[in-house]
Amino acid sequence: KMAFVSRSHRDPNETYTFSSRPRPVENRPKYRGPPFEQMQSNYGNIMYDRRVVRGNTHGQHIIPTAAQTHPIEIQRQQEIRRRKRAREQFRTVTPEALQGRKHIDIQTELYLEELSDVVVATDSECQTDAFLDKPATPLFIPAKSGKDVETQIEEGELFDFDLEVQPVLEVLVGKTIEQSLMEVMEEEELACLRAQQRAFNELRNNELAEVKRLQEQERRHSEEKERRTAQQREMLKKERETAEKIAARAYTQQYLADLLPAVFTSLRGHGYFYDPVEKDVETNFFPWLMTEVHKSLEKRYTARALLDSKTIQYIFSLVQKTSLCLR
Amino acid sequence: MLMAGGVMDPSRAPVAFGRRAVPQLFEELQQPDADRRLRALNSLCDLMHDPERIQQTVRAGFLQQLKVLLEDEDPSVRTTTCELLLMLSCKYTASEALLSSSLLPPLSRLLDDSSSSCRRSVHRVMKQLSVWTSGASALLPLVPKLMLKLNEEEDEEVLVLLLSTVSCCSREDVLPALASDGVSLLGQKLSHPSPNIRREAAAAMMTLSVCEDGRQQVCEQALLPVLVGLLQEDDIEIQIHAAGVIMYAVVITPGKQQCLDLDAIPVLLDLVSKEKEEEDRRRVLVMYSLRVLTALAEAPEGRRLLLEQLPLLVARSGAAEEDENIRRAAQTAVSVITWTP
Repeated sequence: KMAFVSRSHRDPNETYTFSSRPRPVENRPKYRGPPFEQMQSNYGNIMYDRRVVRGNTHGQHIIPTAAQTHPIEIQRQQEIRRRKRAREQFRTVTPEALQGRKHIDIQTELYLEELSDVVVATDSECQTDAFLDKPATPLFIPAKSGKDVETQIEEGELFDFDLEVQPVLEVLVGKTIEQSLMEVMEEEELACLRAQQRAFNELRNNELAEVKRLQEQERRHSEEKERRTAQQREMLKKERETAEKIAARAYTQQYLADLLPAVFTSLRGHGYFYDPVEKDVETNFFPWLMTEVHKSLEKRYTARALLDSKTIQYIFSLVQKTSLCLR
Repeated sequence: MLMAGGVMDPSRAPVAFGRRAVPQLFEELQQPDADRRLRALNSLCDLMHDPERIQQTVRAGFLQQLKVLLEDEDPSVRTTTCELLLMLSCKYTASEALLSSSLLPPLSRLLDDSSSSCRRSVHRVMKQLSVWTSGASALLPLVPKLMLKLNEEEDEEVLVLLLSTVSCCSREDVLPALASDGVSLLGQKLSHPSPNIRREAAAAMMTLSVCEDGRQQVCEQALLPVLVGLLQEDDIEIQIHAAGVIMYAVVITPGKQQCLDLDAIPVLLDLVSKEKEEEDRRRVLVMYSLRVLTALAEAPEGRRLLLEQLPLLVARSGAAEEDENIRRAAQTAVSVITWTP
């Protein structure tokens, strides 16, 4: 018996491995006996084995890849087969040939073609030569045509540094000088401006100082003049006052000179100087005299008045009497 | 062929040709990358030497963009923008445009910048602007701030620029500088070790002393001794400016008095008597000294002293003198000295 034919085992890591020794296909008889008696190693010819597929596989019954077919699938396939058979039944076929005639298929094209099952085939074989080393390809030298001309560029003909650098240098130097000239002119302008300002300022200061000095002088002079005129005015005022005082004194003296007799005259005129006897006579005697005269006259008047009233009284009474009488 | 990248200066942006140069560089300035902006600014500074380009910049109104750049975070961008403005302000029309497009406020904010090179550039721009009268008038509101800066700044160049800016502005109007205590600040600078600063301080003082107030302050703050000391220095510019200040100061009586006390007359006579004045500067010095002597001759002691020196001055006033100004000044001096009431 074969000691070890195949073995497969499952790894604990779940990888499945299978290994077997190569063995020839066994001849399987048509009718199998009980399984355990079959272990004879009869090697059959594989060419005559029924299990081996021969020929073209085109159109053969291919076992479907699925192991179990669905019952519906089987049913459908049977349906298809039946339908195909039915279709073939109903297909119109050309009518049968008359008696004595035979239908033959014939080509109707212009150019006839030989139809045969046998394909014309020829056997041919070829064999490549053993590889040889490829020989070196010969240099391709094209045929010479045209005229030969040659030229050579010497050193310094294409590019002369000194010539080329000239314009670049000119530009560089020119621009730099231009820029620096501008800057120098700027500075000069500023310096000129400053110098001009300074000169102007100095002259101005000079003249201004003179002006200030003269101003100050003027101020001092005018102040002095003011003071002097004020002084002068003071003096004049004093003089005038003195003159007035003197005039006033003279006048007063003159006035007072004949004041005294005038006073005496007026006093005398007003009666401040009097003869006392005369005064006494006037003040005492005359009033008394007048009063006495007045008294005596009063007496006379009262007497006359009395008399008058008595007379009137009498006359009145007389009149009364007469009137009474007359009634 | 034009884009020879390896040959170009890596600190400059590539410049387009002809008319397109300036607009393209200004477009480049709007990029967010600070490095590219710096390179574009450097190229612009190079281009601005040409007056045509300056005109192009001004006419196309690109100055507004510079306003944004002045407030950039990168200090080198700010510094380069200020240098660009310096180039622009050297020309009158461009500086007018600069002032009218209100670039002064951001520029004045940069005065307090942290980077010293930026501050120096700003001062350079301001000095250049103050040369023009419109610039000086526009800078007048800034004068108090600049006077404050006089005390803060240490760098000599910046101080020199500051002082010259202040003196230019004060020529327009003296009042802001005087009001911010200019005379005393400048008086301190008169004794600075550096000669440049002394010169500029003396120049600024001269503009301040034109005004009556200034003269009073100069005499009050006892600056005349310092000035007479400056008269005897070697640098002729310092001498000129010091003589100028004295010239104004002796117009008022306290000034005359102080000068006579300081015995300034011999010094001045020495200056006047120098024979060789081929240089213009020496002529100016002689002029100023003659004016000082004229003013001093109004005081009696001065007149007495100068009567002795009369021949010298008569020689100056003669026809032999070439410079007309000196001749006139000498004649005035002689007439004042020989004046009798």
